[in-house]
Amino acid sequence: MTGSMLISIVMATLVAGTPLAYAALGELVAEKSGVLNLGIEGMMLAGAVTGFIAASATNSVWIGVAAGMMAGAALAAVFAVVAITLLASQVAAGLALAIFGTGLSSLLGKGYTGTSLVLEPSSVAAVVNQIPIVGPLLTQLHPLVYLSWLLFAGVNYFLYKTKAGLILRAVGESPASAHAIGYPVIRIRYLATIFGGAMSGVAGAYLATVYTPLWTEGMTAGRGWIALALVVFGTWRPARVLFGAYLFGGVTTAQLFAQGAGIPLPPELMSSLPYIATIVVLVLITRSRTLVRMNAPAALGQSFHAYA
Amino acid sequence: MDNFTRRDFLQRTAAGLAVASVGSTGLLAQDGVLKVGVVHQGPISDTGWELFQARAWRAMEAAFPGKVRVTALDNVAQAQDAERVFRQLAAQGNKLLMGTTFSQYATLRKLAPTLNVNCECCAGIETTKNLGVFEARSYEGTYLTGIAAGKMTKTNVLGWVGAFPVPQVLYNLNGFLLGARSVNPAVVCKVVWANAWSDPAKEKDAINALVAQHADVLSGSPNTPVQGLAAEEKGVWSIGSTGDFSAYVRNKQLTSFELDWSPAYIEAAQRTLAGNWMPTARWRGLGPSGFVKLTTQNPVLPPEVVALMAEKEKAIVEGKLHPFTGPIKDQSGKVRVAAGTPLPDAQLAGIDWLVEGVQGTLPRG
Repeated sequence: MTGSMLISIVMATLVAGTPLAYAALGELVAEKSGVLNLGIEGMMLAGAVTGFIAASATNSVWIGVAAGMMAGAALAAVFAVVAITLLASQVAAGLALAIFGTGLSSLLGKGYTGTSLVLEPSSVAAVVNQIPIVGPLLTQLHPLVYLSWLLFAGVNYFLYKTKAGLILRAVGESPASAHAIGYPVIRIRYLATIFGGAMSGVAGAYLATVYTPLWTEGMTAGRGWIALALVVFGTWRPARVLFGAYLFGGVTTAQLFAQGAGIPLPPELMSSLPYIATIVVLVLITRSRTLVRMNAPAALGQSFHAYA
Repeated sequence: MDNFTRRDFLQRTAAGLAVASVGSTGLLAQDGVLKVGVVHQGPISDTGWELFQARAWRAMEAAFPGKVRVTALDNVAQAQDAERVFRQLAAQGNKLLMGTTFSQYATLRKLAPTLNVNCECCAGIETTKNLGVFEARSYEGTYLTGIAAGKMTKTNVLGWVGAFPVPQVLYNLNGFLLGARSVNPAVVCKVVWANAWSDPAKEKDAINALVAQHADVLSGSPNTPVQGLAAEEKGVWSIGSTGDFSAYVRNKQLTSFELDWSPAYIEAAQRTLAGNWMPTARWRGLGPSGFVKLTTQNPVLPPEVVALMAEKEKAIVEGKLHPFTGPIKDQSGKVRVAAGTPLPDAQLAGIDWLVEGVQGTLPRG
């Protein structure tokens, strides 16, 4: 394998893993606070369609991403009201929102199906390109990829090095105790859920405006569900979640490169390889109940009512 | 009746069924209008397969002003839904039902003998009672665009993003390479299977994988501009095989062809109106009443290439040239088509091998 092909594969992996990284890290924060949000797929699609519409109206990717973020956050807010305030089953509410988000995105995207974005080339990229040697390498990746690393660092720092993060984790472990100490459990869960939804929205917007700048129905193709699995895959630790996102993205793109290189493996097998890899790792990780219990937020998925 | 959505249809079904149950005998409704029902599997959009079907039934409506009324539903994704929808359309008094994709063929094959209406299915295989089929010889289009590819490639490597290894895709791919080799015997074609009819992210990755293998003219059977855009990003040519995406791919689309189903739709309506409709199987390519139409040529193409393509097109239309004329060997070197004879239609329609020069495995399945 030549050096240039290796670089292509690495670049493709980073690009493919970024939407998963955003969605999974957002969901990680939500789950750390004890809220199981299954509606990521719907929020991603809502973010994708909103991002696409905004970007095609304003010719700006960043406005599209901002719009996608707000769309994801809005859908997550609906979920939060239903699951946290109205105390509905988090699983059912999340699934309902996933389906709702999918349908809503199809409806909103009606006039835009198959159309493509025409974007202005970035002036910042032109400047960075001038830097010798590393410049062209750096501009191959969209700034959102670098921001995803910033997000990872931020989430890691927030969860494990700040008091606010400690409180959030406490809420996820035992909301009753946190409430007894006086922390606003409901508000914290709301904020965490909305943050998770916002990140899913960014992931969707990235897909629709940067990765493949067009809109088709269901364009996330199940990535939301993969992101959900990745949080468990990474045993709720940000570094492992990020690794899982790139592993999945990498396996997905590598099989296409392998086909191009003429490696004689059946393409259907290679197509299913990412999912098989995820399942295998999930099974391996959850084979030890202790491992899961030690890392999973103890109150995950449980509704909290102060006077229950 | 443009884009008669599913919601509208359901709202009116109640009234429609009431009227239909009163009974409308004969081919035409009370006011002498032929009602036609069309079912799309995906959403009708700006580009791709559904657009061609939509254009065709709109042309049919325009060809018989006031005498044909179309009810078109899109986004009927599942075959079971399609069955229910076809039954409802027939009960509603639609005397001609058009299926638009291969996945509806099994449904229509089961339904058509039981319904008392004329049915046609695009990309169907065999006719049966009340069911006619039509398909395009798109390999004639890929052969011609392959000529352009063979002339314009600098690395002598072409690329093809395949959806599924079904005969329709295989003969397109084979036609593409045969056309390229007719002008440039050294050319090869790498194929990557995306295993999806429309998955933009995967198609983009597939294009990147092919470009990494030095392919500089890319083709496939895309439904969206994503393949052409990805190729343009990398600075290589793309060919709009079954789709003209030059509105999006401003500079780097070499040439393209489209599928024009309006002859099939118009003939079906005409024969139904005249009362002499019979189930027929039509497999047509280039030509005035054919289903394949070459569209744009990039201004960069040298005039002699454009002239050569026009000359070959004329030869195919006149029946003097068949793209699959032997000697043709498959990937293992076995001679599949004897020298001087064309591959018979029956074998072409069920083709399961790749010509010599295509690099990539054929998924067994």
